Amino acid sequence: MESLVELRNLTRQFGTFEALRGIDLKLPPGRIGLLGPNGAGKSTLLKILMGLLAPSSGEGTVFGIPLVPGADGEGNWQLRRLMGFMPEADALIPGMRGVDYVSLAGELYGMPRRDAQRRAHEVLSYLELEDARYRRLEEYSTGMKQRLKLAQALVHDPPALLLDEPTSGLDPAGRDAMLRLLLELGTDHGKSVIISTHLLADVEAVCERVVILYGGQVRGFGTVRELCASRQDRYRLQIQGDPSAFREELRLEGVEILSENDRGEMRVVVPAKWITRAFFALAENHGVVIRSLIRDDETLEELFFRTIEKK
Amino acid sequence: MSTDPLKQRITMLRYRPWRGELRGPWSGVLAIARVSLGQMFRRKLFWGLFGFSALIFLFYFFGQYLGVFMQSQLTGETGTVRLGSGVGAVTVRPENMIQALTKTLKMNGSADTFANFIWFEGYILIIVLTLAGSVLVGNDFSHGSLPFYLSKPISRWHYMLGKCLAIGVFVNLMTTVPALLLFLQYGMVDEWSYYWDSFHLVVGILGYGLILTVSLSIILLAFATWLRKTVPMIMVWVSVFVLGRIVAKLIVDGLKFSPSWRLFDLWNDLYLMGASCLGIPLETMRPGPQPPFWQAWLVIGGLCAFCLLYLRRRIQAVEVVS
Amino acid sequence: MTENRMVFRGTQELEIESPLIIAPPKRLSPPPPTFVDDRPPVLLFEQVSKWYGPVIGVNQVTLELRSGITGLVGANGAGKSTLLRLATGQLKPQMGRVSVHGVDAWDWQAKRHVGYCPDVDVFYEEMSGRRFVLTMARLCGYDRREANRRTEEALEQVGMRDRADRKVRGYSKGMRQRIKLAQAILHDPDLIVLDEPLSGIDPVGRQEMLELFMKLASQNKCLLISSHELEELEKLTEHVAIMSRGRIAAVGTLQTIREMLNDHPTTIRIDLEQPRELGRLLIDSPDVVGLEMPSDRTLIVKAKNPKQFFRTFAQLVMEEDFAIERLEPLDDSTHAILGYLLGGSGKT
Repeated sequence: MESLVELRNLTRQFGTFEALRGIDLKLPPGRIGLLGPNGAGKSTLLKILMGLLAPSSGEGTVFGIPLVPGADGEGNWQLRRLMGFMPEADALIPGMRGVDYVSLAGELYGMPRRDAQRRAHEVLSYLELEDARYRRLEEYSTGMKQRLKLAQALVHDPPALLLDEPTSGLDPAGRDAMLRLLLELGTDHGKSVIISTHLLADVEAVCERVVILYGGQVRGFGTVRELCASRQDRYRLQIQGDPSAFREELRLEGVEILSENDRGEMRVVVPAKWITRAFFALAENHGVVIRSLIRDDETLEELFFRTIEKK
Repeated sequence: MSTDPLKQRITMLRYRPWRGELRGPWSGVLAIARVSLGQMFRRKLFWGLFGFSALIFLFYFFGQYLGVFMQSQLTGETGTVRLGSGVGAVTVRPENMIQALTKTLKMNGSADTFANFIWFEGYILIIVLTLAGSVLVGNDFSHGSLPFYLSKPISRWHYMLGKCLAIGVFVNLMTTVPALLLFLQYGMVDEWSYYWDSFHLVVGILGYGLILTVSLSIILLAFATWLRKTVPMIMVWVSVFVLGRIVAKLIVDGLKFSPSWRLFDLWNDLYLMGASCLGIPLETMRPGPQPPFWQAWLVIGGLCAFCLLYLRRRIQAVEVVS
Repeated sequence: MTENRMVFRGTQELEIESPLIIAPPKRLSPPPPTFVDDRPPVLLFEQVSKWYGPVIGVNQVTLELRSGITGLVGANGAGKSTLLRLATGQLKPQMGRVSVHGVDAWDWQAKRHVGYCPDVDVFYEEMSGRRFVLTMARLCGYDRREANRRTEEALEQVGMRDRADRKVRGYSKGMRQRIKLAQAILHDPDLIVLDEPLSGIDPVGRQEMLELFMKLASQNKCLLISSHELEELEKLTEHVAIMSRGRIAAVGTLQTIREMLNDHPTTIRIDLEQPRELGRLLIDSPDVVGLEMPSDRTLIVKAKNPKQFFRTFAQLVMEEDFAIERLEPLDDSTHAILGYLLGGSGKT
């Protein structure tokens, strides 16, 4: 299929409150990040994509299944067959063992019981929960619980995964592992991965495209590379040593210093025809060592704030 | 896509795709029922209560047997019989005993037998259902398990049906099944023609069981969804039944108001509905004047409809994404 | 940036866990005398150990905070929450002593100086935000008028003044965090302890919270923030305490910690047109211990002695006129340092 999701002029109201208005979106399969401040309509959009809510008006398809607008009702539960959802909240059933939990998830997706059991073991060992699979869910640590939630979303091998804050509560090592896992599922196993999160770094690590929602509308959509402005004439430097002479020299050469801090980090705008070698030459002359030199393209964070600020 | 073929091969050893047929949501319903049953059967308290209900069954079982046995043994000889020996010896009149068993306790394989048996089982059933309610449904709410269920391709009605099925199993295990066993037993003890003559009673028993299953599971589900935690569940559930009984008794027997006030007593209403299935006439019922059958049906039916509407509002799939 | 007021005490306390750190801990050059304060530090842990049954929460922890923002990082289960609860006087250590301004943290006098913003949400959901903070103020012992005044001030500081009348039940995560922060600063404490204050907040809210923390720090308060979001912590402060397995693995500025890990080679990424040329030349340098070329525009260098390496590198750039597109040490972040100290993938 060409598009994972196609939405045309979709709206959703709750009484008088317009949660989503005029959403036009065409998501290709792949790794997509869903960003937006609180109240932007992210969770409403997710619910519509999952078939938990019907849109108020407009039309669209998710996995080729059409969305039927209807002010009140629940959406179409069929949509949830083809996706695995990893909720932000714990959503566990205490008293069950890990493997029983995942196997129940499989059965709820519609897998035959034997298949679900076998697959539960497989998925748990893929996620390195093999040792803990016979233990009860209450005994799991935060990192294990997150992986368990991913397991119950993966058990029926869906073509798409929807994840709500997949790294919440994880320490840096656990977060790295989770992001690597999601990247692997997206690139090596051809799954579409849609991540809704507040952590821009997570999106940078995993996603090719981002959707930025604000005020119920799509404010930005595209690949990260396309959206983030590349600023050819700006650089970020980090130097060690006394910066005063170096700074002066830069100014004389026509370099504008945008910002500086006491850690030796500077952001500069260079004049036309500048070559980076000049930085090193100037540094050498003034007893300063350059530790880092990076072109100051727009980061995802800057893009995010720029997008939501424009009216 | 990873272009390195070696890596691809190794990766496939770890994560394998699954290509199979996904069945519809009904397999999910059965899975929910099965898992819920498992959760209950694991509790020792449940087995303890089940033991009590078995006691009642055994009481009726032996009572029926004794009644028939004594009647068959006595051949006109009246008088007294000495039971036991020595100091603990007791003198009884067999006729009195038979009278007690058949006429008073009504352990005679008639419609009243089964109606009363299920009535008594009700005491234990209510307690078991309280436990079931908090374990099966309340826990789902208080531990936030609902998003787990509703993020699957099932609707909230499937979820509720699965739970109701599990509740239905308990209800029937403690009422319909032992009642049917008593029916079978009486036929074997008394005479074979009993089965033929009283077959309508089987239908009645099954009907009573069905009424109990449907109404109790819906009402229980609504209460459990509302109250969630065990202690409030026990309090409200038991008071609805016990207080209802007390209030009804006070008003009808004490203040001598119209028998329709007895409708407060929910268990009595269910009993009336069951009695109408079993074909017991209204006038022969024990506690005083009773309201007509159709009123009981109305009350319970209305209550169930109300609970269903409440459940429809409360179990919202929208709670899945916070 | 607030001044560094952390005093480093003695070498025996600094026992770095990870086997990667082989060099014995160096004594830092003591801070210039003008910084040494005669008053007792705001928060002082002296060889504190705490058990839960057989499980050890913190093991011989020594820490001293005077002012500014200090980050507390570490894996889950490393003992961060225990340490924070010891600081707020909710737990009593089995060994050692925790003191706030010299007074035992367990003592109610000490708790007056401490504000705690916990990671869990425990609110009375039916109350409005204002009412909740007001109740906390009354619990602090202020009379009605004073409590009202402080409540309004605290709500003003956290930017919730206009939204505080709704019930807490309807609040977003960001609003809840602000209310928690408001009740923590009610009594104008000198030490504010925050456990995961940024979790679940959207980027806009996070920015506002960061500004709030910096404002509080500029009011000469001491903040101890435990967080997994290292990127945000780095924006706030240079000073971190890294915990691992119940012990403080390292304390100090990121730079200092990085320098202490001198024996571990730095990984540096260099983007340029002809990486092989540069690689060939770099191999001759004694500082370079490894080279990698993941693509035909990138060179990854492993170098010991980074300061010397960067000088050598600069000279090469100028001599051979390389057009460098990017120069980036890959392990200067808290993230990387944590990775070294905690040794590889700590699967939780």
